[in-house]
Order: sequence, then structure tokens, then C-alpha cells
Amino acid sequence: MKKGDSAKILKSCDVVAEHSYHLPPLGHMAMEVRTAHAEISSDGGVFITSSSQSPYSIRKQISEAFLIPSGQIEVFVPFVGGAFGGKAPVMLEILAFLASRSVGGKPVRLTISREQDIATPPCHIGLEADIKIGATKDGKIQAAELIYRVDCGAYTDIAPYMAKAVATDCTGPYHIENLTCDVVCVYTNHTYATSFRSFAHDSYTFCIERTLDMLSEKCEIDQLEFRLRNIIRHGSQTPSRVAYTKSGMGDLSKCLNSVKSLSGWCGLNPTNIKKDTVRAKGVACIWKTENPPTDAISGALITFNPDGSLNLHTGVVEIGSNGATMLAQMLAEKLKIDADQVHIVSEVNTRTAPEHWKTVASLSEYMAGHAVMRAADDIVNQLRNIGAMALNRPNDEIEISHGRVFSNKNPERFITLKDLAQGYKSLSGESIGEPVLGRGGFMLKGLCLLNPETGEGKTGPQWTLGAQVVEVEADLKTLTYRIINASTVIDVGNAINPESIRAQIAGGMAMGISLSSREGFFYNENGVLSHPNFRSYKVMHIGQEPNYKVAFAETPDCTSPYGVRSFSEHGVIGMPAALGNALSLAFGKQLDTLPLTPENIWRTPTEDF
Amino acid sequence: MIPFNFTYCRPSTEKEAADAFAAHESEGKTPLYYAGGSEIITMCRTRSISPGCVIDIKNIPNLNLLSVDGNHLIIGTANTLTKICQSKLFPLLKLACGRIADHTNQCRITLGGNICGSIIYRETVLPLLLSDADITLFGPNGGRSASVESIFRRRLARNQNEMITQVRIPIWALDARHAHIKKTANEKIDYPLISVAALWKGETLRVAFSGLCSYPFRSKEIESVLNDRAKSIEERAQRASELLPEQAYNDSVASSEYRLFVLKNTLEKLLEGWENDSI
Repeated sequence: MKKGDSAKILKSCDVVAEHSYHLPPLGHMAMEVRTAHAEISSDGGVFITSSSQSPYSIRKQISEAFLIPSGQIEVFVPFVGGAFGGKAPVMLEILAFLASRSVGGKPVRLTISREQDIATPPCHIGLEADIKIGATKDGKIQAAELIYRVDCGAYTDIAPYMAKAVATDCTGPYHIENLTCDVVCVYTNHTYATSFRSFAHDSYTFCIERTLDMLSEKCEIDQLEFRLRNIIRHGSQTPSRVAYTKSGMGDLSKCLNSVKSLSGWCGLNPTNIKKDTVRAKGVACIWKTENPPTDAISGALITFNPDGSLNLHTGVVEIGSNGATMLAQMLAEKLKIDADQVHIVSEVNTRTAPEHWKTVASLSEYMAGHAVMRAADDIVNQLRNIGAMALNRPNDEIEISHGRVFSNKNPERFITLKDLAQGYKSLSGESIGEPVLGRGGFMLKGLCLLNPETGEGKTGPQWTLGAQVVEVEADLKTLTYRIINASTVIDVGNAINPESIRAQIAGGMAMGISLSSREGFFYNENGVLSHPNFRSYKVMHIGQEPNYKVAFAETPDCTSPYGVRSFSEHGVIGMPAALGNALSLAFGKQLDTLPLTPENIWRTPTEDF
Repeated sequence: MIPFNFTYCRPSTEKEAADAFAAHESEGKTPLYYAGGSEIITMCRTRSISPGCVIDIKNIPNLNLLSVDGNHLIIGTANTLTKICQSKLFPLLKLACGRIADHTNQCRITLGGNICGSIIYRETVLPLLLSDADITLFGPNGGRSASVESIFRRRLARNQNEMITQVRIPIWALDARHAHIKKTANEKIDYPLISVAALWKGETLRVAFSGLCSYPFRSKEIESVLNDRAKSIEERAQRASELLPEQAYNDSVASSEYRLFVLKNTLEKLLEGWENDSI
């Protein structure tokens, strides 16, 4: 990414902060281990059942690799027991298919053990970074030079796309006119890497936000105030030169001000609680745009039941983010009926559900949401046509609401949806219209590849921005700490299901705290992963969680169904950074690695700035 | 999944168990005594071990005893950590048991399994080392008793064909002043960087450690340093940390140097608690 003249401007900055970071890879640790089932019928039909976020990728890859027409392949995905990006790659399905083929197509089920599930399938990237950011004395960022090295392990999988995602959002949500950023994807002898909730944003955000705290310290400006002075705003461009608009990116200043009061932000210094014990808060800003293929697609099909309720078929896999529920809400809102009148077909069969690229990137509400909106329009049009004929009124008078179709001139005369949806039979027995079937397709528009020279280009349809604060209580003698509060304010566009969104964001925060305080893959001198089991790879247990505070800003995205922005991954993004900032402040050290264990804090030298 | 077949026996007396062990051993089946199974199942899953036979001893009545009898508390080794905690009979042991694994596993892990397991921490041994406890074993040649101090050297010196059946703890230890401090890498429910168990007999402090070295131990040298109350707390903690029986343990959980740092802090905390009577 290249904008302006970072080398020249950095030389003239009043203050410059420069630091290197090293973050280890780590695991997804979904509750359900990966599993796949394959069988091949005597006429060559291939049937795969998998715990996957990407049923259509399975169909495509098996088709291409084994030269089987894709129509002969059926992929079925039941409820998935947690995925976090780790079930987006195709892996076991290929092996299960090969195994079935080698025994004449008999059913083969391949479920790996927990130990294998940790050590073998692709994991979270590792990251090294060299960050250099310069500002004026009064805390205005002038220029940045950033180098990120993505540890993608032994195979690429989608790591280059993660490198691209890091580049696209490389500065965090700030106004920086002079920028040079290189992101390099590096093969190593580690487990190979794939998408992990937030698609690498948690990693680079740690490096940027830690450096911003160093810079604000040098400028002697409150960390949160420092960020407010530099956030992206009208007249700013993203690193890939997409102009800021309020609808496109939301209102980060609102998020920062809101998280300031939500977290009881008290600024610059730690607070003494008792002997050797302080409380400190750390702040981090987050943002994320998506990096799907520029031609990613989605679709929705809607059928009616005789009672007037609807069945919603999409290719969205329910992986716990409640995407399908929100789609049902959108459909119900559009048809002005109760959401419980929409039945979600929660399992995905590639033969019956319209293709949805992959259930990744928190794009279900945007992409499938658009498809559902179109399918709903399709239904409304059909119902109006039949209603107009049945009521013998002009089409433009017909309204649909609360399960009734009627003329707005005479709402007391109505036909219920259940009597109309399968085609209407008049009192005299005449048949009117046809059964109503809704369909909607959606293809992303307006995206492009990045310019190889400048990095210019729009990679995703939306942005989501937010601000997060972590509060710790730190023991200065033993270098141990407790995380007391964690606060997040995200501009979700329109919180169409606040409780569900709150839970999803808090879940992301828990994951971010766990991975940054405890987790990491470490390899012994023989290159063997040292602890592929839950006995020694620790995730945060219930009982050690902080108090989660979540609030929303709501700046609708005018290109999105009901103005929603994606939010499912975002809770995780700023937690490592905010925790790192809080602990750095508490202990008077510049922490630059994860996990933030007391031993790593102990190893970090105390240095004055 | 356990990827091999094995025989499962469930005897109802110690004698039946020892006989079953001998019989399967003579068939070359490498039997194992089995109680909670948490460690055996994990190790079988990863094929670190592959016993041809497991002898489930947790239904033997003597191994389930949990009562105070005259001068001793008797704990059958098939009692789970949860049962020992809930009995509240030996407060120091309750604290130690309550910090091993999570609640689900505490309901399965037995005292005997924790003492005899292959994982190096064996944190239940610490209260036994400090309280002059005895341990009873039973094998093909019948039963025998020994003090824990004499039989536990790095690990419990027993023959493969012997099961431990009971521990007997003198009742003075049950209401003695005590403390238990466990430090982990960062997750509360984890193996110890260091567990320190402390028990006062009269005015004399006894301490034992787990996680600090490659085996649990009680050190008389360290105790005599810590009991020298004429010296400052910092000096005693520093001196004690120089008296480890081997180099502090070094693994992926923590380095030797860091363990020493944690040890000194932990000992200082313990001694401060003693000085200001907060323990």
C-alpha cells in the first residue's frame, strides 16, 4: 500500500514510535471437532456430509480435483458445533471421499480426535510486524511505515487473502495521509493457517494499537483522546483509497465517546488500589472490511406452508452467529408478519439450497439479506397480483400486512395469506393465480482487485468500526493480573436483534481475551507442536471472565438490508490490543508479544520512553 | 477413540483385584489398575500406553472408606477429589484437591490416581508428605503399610502389581494451621507453575512443593531456612530458593528462571501471612 511520501514525512515528525511485534499462531478450538462423511452411489453420485462453513466449496473442489460433474455431487451440512473460520477450508472431505472411493463407494466417516483437530488442520496465522508511526507534538498522525509478515505455515490455503486483508485495513481506522505498507506471506514449518474469526484483524490491530499508545505517551496525550484526534473522517481515505462516508463506515467518534463513558475511562495513568496493586485501562479502535471474491453470490428461496407460514431456504450455514434468525427477521419485517411465521431451513443441502459463497466474513446478513429482500419482493409482487384478481381491485391498491391481503381502500375486506399463497379459490370455486414461490439472487457489485502498485481498490461491500476498552487489576510484584471489565461499542448500523448481537460481540470479546492472555501454538526443537490437547492448551474457563459491557452506535449502511453492518467477528479484534495496552500501562512495560502471560510480562524489560 | 481392544475387570475385593492382575500379567496382557481413568483414557487415546487389561478397583469397599477412626483419618484411594473436598475432613487436602483440574474432572479423578499417575504434579501428595501420613498397599503377596515420607521418593515406590488402597492421616494434621498457594501460567484451572502446601506442626512450618521441580517434594533444608524467623522474609525466601533438590523445572508452561521468580514471591506471601497472622 502506498500513499504520499512516508519516508520524507517521518523524518520531519515531532514524535515517532517504532516497535516490532511477534504473535504466535493458535488454534480455533471449536467445541465440535472436524468431521466428514462420504459415500458414492453405484451410479456415481457423490454424497458428502460435513461440519463445514463452505458446502459449495466442497462441491467445487471435489468436482475440479476428481473431474466429477458438480451436479453429481451433493453436500449436506447439518448444525455445526462451532467453527470460527476453522471449518471454511476443505480438508477432511477430500480424504473421506478418497477413502470411500477406495472401498467401492461404501460410506466412510472421518472424525479426527481432539489432539489431531488441534495439531493438523489449518490454524490462526502467526504475525511479525515492524511498525513505525510519526505524529506532530499535538498528536496528529502524519505518516506510517508498516511491515507485516504473515506466518502461513507450510501451505498457503487462503493466507494470501489474509495478507491482502491486513494490507487493506493495515493502519486501523485512522486518517493517515502518508503510508507505506508491505504485507508478506511467509511459508514456515508450522501448521498451515486459515481464516480465524476477524480474518487476521486481531493480529495487526495489536501491533498498530500498541504503537499508538507509545505515540500518545510520547505526546503526553490521553490515549483515548489521541485516537479521537486521528480517527478516519470526512476527507479521509482508507489505505486502499476508499473515501470515508458516514453510511459506508459508520461513526467511530460516537463509538469512542460511548465506550469512554461505558468503561468509566479515566485517562493517562494507572490508579493505585493498594500496595503493589493498580488498575489500568487500555483502549483500541477496530475496523474491518471484507475480502470476498469480487463475484461472490448468495440466494434465497421461499415457499409457503398451508397455514400461511413460510420456509426460508438459503445456503447460509448456522455456525452460532444467529445469521439465519436475522434473515428470518428481515423476511418477516418485509412481509409485516411475526418472525415465528418464518421457518428457517437450518441445514444446508447444496442440491436444494441456493448457493451462498461461504458462511464467512460476517457477510450473511449483507449478502443473503439482499437475496432474502429480493425473494420477499418477488413474493409481495405475486401476492399482490393474485390479491388484485381475487379482490377484483387494481394492483396498486393491494397491501399485505399481518397475514392479510387487502385493498387499502377497504381494509375490512381481506384474504388471509394462507388462502392466497397456494393460489386462490373463490367462493364459486374459480381458481385464481398460481402458488406463490419466492426467489432472490444476489451477486456482490463494485468490488475490485487491489492495484499492484498503490494498493488502491475496494475489496469489500461494508465497513464496521468500533472501540474497545479492557480494564485490568495488576499486581506489580508478582506481575499477575485479573481482567475486570471489558467494554465494546460497535457501529452495527441497525441493531435488528440487540440481544443476539450483544451476545455475539461478547462472545468475540471472550475469545479475544482468551487468545491474548493464554493461548498460542509453540513448537519444540523437533518442530512438534508442544501441547495439542485441552489439558495444556488453555482456553479461558467460565468463572474467570470479566464483566462484559456492550453497546451500539447505529449509523445505517444505506446499501445494506435494513441498514445492518456485519458484527459477528468484530468483538475479538481489539481485545488483544486493549489488554496489551492496559497491561503495558499497568506494568510500565512495552508489551509486544502474545500471549500476555505473567512470564512474558516478566521477560519484557522495563523501559522508559 | 481408544484404538485397540482390552479386557475390563471389576473385582470387588483387593484380593480379587491382585489375583486378576497376576493372572492377566501371566498371560502377557500388561494389566493396569484403573480408578477414575482420566489419565489412562487420555494416554490410551494417544497410544502412549496400550494396556491389554484394565482392572477397575473403584468398587472395592475398603478403597471407598472415608472416616475418622481414633487417631487417624482414613481415606480410601478410590475416593474422588470431589468427595474428599465435600467431606471437609482435612482442610489442607481439600484445598489441594480443589485446585486440581476442573470440577468435572474432580468428580472422576481419585486420590489414588492422582498419587500414582504419570503426570508429574501429583498435588495431593503434598498434604500427605506434610502430615506424617501412612499409605497402605495391596499386591499378590498381600498388604503392607509404609509412611508416605519413606515410600514417596520422587514418585511412589510401588510394584506395578500393587495398588494403593488407603492413606491414614494423623488427626493432629486435620485442624493444624495450614496454607495452600497454587500459581499457574495464567489460566486458573491448569497444571501448577508451583503449588506450595504449608502445614504447621505446633509453631514449626512444614512446606512441600509441586511443579517446582520434576517431582513433588518436601525439603527439610528449606523448612529450616523458612523457620529461622530471626531472618527477614526476603532473605528466607531467597535462601530457600537456592536449596532446591534439582534445577527448577523447565517446560513449555514456564522456564526455570521464571519458576524461581514465582517461588520467591510465593514464599514471601506465605511468610508474610505467617508473620501477620492472616493464615
